[in-house]
Amino acid sequence: MTAVHQFVPALLPRDATGDHTRALRDALRAAGWESDIYVEAAHDELQDEATYFEKYPSRARPGDVLLYQLGTSSPVAEFLLGRDEPLVLDYHNVTPASFYEGWEEHTVEKVALARRQVAALAPHAVLGIADSAFNARELEDLGCPATAVVPILVDLQTAHGAADAAELARLTADHGDATVLLFVGRLSPNKCHERLVEALWVYRRLYDPDARLHLVGPTVTPEYAEAVFAFADELGLADAVRHAEGLTGAELAAWYGDADVFVCLSEHEGFCIPLLEAMRADTPIVALDAGAVGETLADAGLLLEEARPATVAAAVHRIRQDDGLAAFLTEAGRRRLEDFAAPVTRQRFVEVLAGVAGREPVVA
Amino acid sequence: MADRVRYLDEVMAEIDAEVRRRRASGDLPAGLERELDELFLEFSPVGLQGRARLRETLSLVDGSAYVDIAVPTASNKAVGSYIKRVMRKGLGWYMNFIVTQIVKFAWSVSRMFHVVVDHIEDLEAAVEAHRSPDLPASVAPSASDGGSWWAAAAVEALAGVTERVVVADCGDASLVEALLVAGVDAYGVDPSDLALEPALDRGVDVRAEPALDHLEVVADEALGGIVLTGSVQWLRPNERERVLDLVSSRLAVDGTFVLHSASPAAWAASAPPVVRDLAPGHPLHPETWAHLLGGRGFVVTATVTGGDDRRLAHVGGDTADSATVNAAIDAINDQLLGPTEYLVVATRER
Repeated sequence: MTAVHQFVPALLPRDATGDHTRALRDALRAAGWESDIYVEAAHDELQDEATYFEKYPSRARPGDVLLYQLGTSSPVAEFLLGRDEPLVLDYHNVTPASFYEGWEEHTVEKVALARRQVAALAPHAVLGIADSAFNARELEDLGCPATAVVPILVDLQTAHGAADAAELARLTADHGDATVLLFVGRLSPNKCHERLVEALWVYRRLYDPDARLHLVGPTVTPEYAEAVFAFADELGLADAVRHAEGLTGAELAAWYGDADVFVCLSEHEGFCIPLLEAMRADTPIVALDAGAVGETLADAGLLLEEARPATVAAAVHRIRQDDGLAAFLTEAGRRRLEDFAAPVTRQRFVEVLAGVAGREPVVA
Repeated sequence: MADRVRYLDEVMAEIDAEVRRRRASGDLPAGLERELDELFLEFSPVGLQGRARLRETLSLVDGSAYVDIAVPTASNKAVGSYIKRVMRKGLGWYMNFIVTQIVKFAWSVSRMFHVVVDHIEDLEAAVEAHRSPDLPASVAPSASDGGSWWAAAAVEALAGVTERVVVADCGDASLVEALLVAGVDAYGVDPSDLALEPALDRGVDVRAEPALDHLEVVADEALGGIVLTGSVQWLRPNERERVLDLVSSRLAVDGTFVLHSASPAAWAASAPPVVRDLAPGHPLHPETWAHLLGGRGFVVTATVTGGDDRRLAHVGGDTADSATVNAAIDAINDQLLGPTEYLVVATRER
């Protein structure tokens, strides 16, 4: 029996890469392949589902295919470079180091190392699977001999379920009729939260003085987060900007459901799962056309060429005032979401990997 | 699908029109967005420049140079806390030996950085002594004028460009309007809020920003044309390099670069005394711009001279005296009154 084993630096619960890795393992097993997950580290909750990568050599068998979930630096990359099995990269992108310069020098080093590892692995792989054409181009530029675009496996229905009604009621009571702008993503310089604060300030000045900005995401760059909130405070927006992290799937669904517009002004995204989450919640989207955002969004949102706060504010205002446009965008979002449906993506993964593993899948 | 895309394009065009209307109405004062960006930089280590950034980073090094050997012993379980206390006590002598050496090393590194920073500050002070004072605003070079001799040549050079075109130091934006009339998607930037007021009143898309600051935030290859005039004439050498870098990266391949400048001779003869004395640089000859642009993948397609209304006419007659006088007039024209301005048009080929 052919085996396709996955390697991932860290297997974490409630994490996009972790969820993707586990879902893909299940899909591969359902297709009739052996498939295990090898890690550098695993969360306590997932210890039973992971094996440390150093143990792989003693378990290796002829015909194995190794699939590396690549999104950060790890000793796993060096390990895989020394293996002879066919290597497939599943590339989720690495944020360029320049975004962290001046904020976190140790992160600059970490992502620079990750980029070097991507450059070393790309020509070594037999295939590069990328979440987006944007990511695929990066792999091709680095010498990857073949690429295929397959979106990240995300089952939004299972991951989030229904919105937490109590959380939704609490949010609604908190802001009343005020417009709520939402962004979901880690507090990191490439996400450009300061642009969201600027847009909120202009929006309140021109259209709705009570408008709020809701930010959901982990604080991975504390100094940047402090600067963003100090900036909001200086603009008199301390009470208008809310931040939450560590939400459950149902709570997150409530924050999406509560928002009037999802606004993404991130300057670098390899795919951007929150766009899909907003589509699922029927929350209209305004987004900066950067990285892979344009191809993930397609026509399911207002795509801006630049993140000038006046333009962002005017776009949000237009959606608030134009019910026809809001309905158009939510309908387009539902349609776009079908392209990323988990069964479609699972089948595509199995088909692509069958080309490497050397036989057709048993189950699609 | 095509209908949906067309509908979204129409919506985006209406949103852009709404932004322009807001700017024109004064709801969005010129320069407001730039001020917001600058305000955020005040809260960011990225925004700390030069000495302040060095000192900020140095304080982080100093703060990290101390290593605490008293590891925390708290635990959710009583036995856990006991074990940690025993380990801390048992390993204390060992940890202390190691940590003392680490701290000694860290302080040596910190001290070295202090010496380096002091040295850099001395160098900065020496460089500062050679800095040119700012020119008074009243002697700012004339901004673009849609009615001037070179406007028609600039419009002709940019006709047919489909991507956006920026006119730097656009002043009252009359050149921007001339380009719009010619079907070019043009907008202007100018550092002076005051100069832009007439354009804002007319609803023209202009922004209160210095040209170089604006080009810094434009995406690579996003522009189909760039028109530079005004202060480009007396840039410092390093600023001129920055201009060339920005123009060659922000302009799309096949994009058009239009540069208007006074000629060096005319500038030396007629620039205000304060400008001649204090300007950090001076205008270049068109041949020099062609050389600099050629090194960055541009090909100069036209050089037009003008602004020579003051040239003296030849005297009549066919005598030896008239020939002598006309030769003298030619010399005076060339050295004192000859083409006082020029326009260089270049295309980015790679």
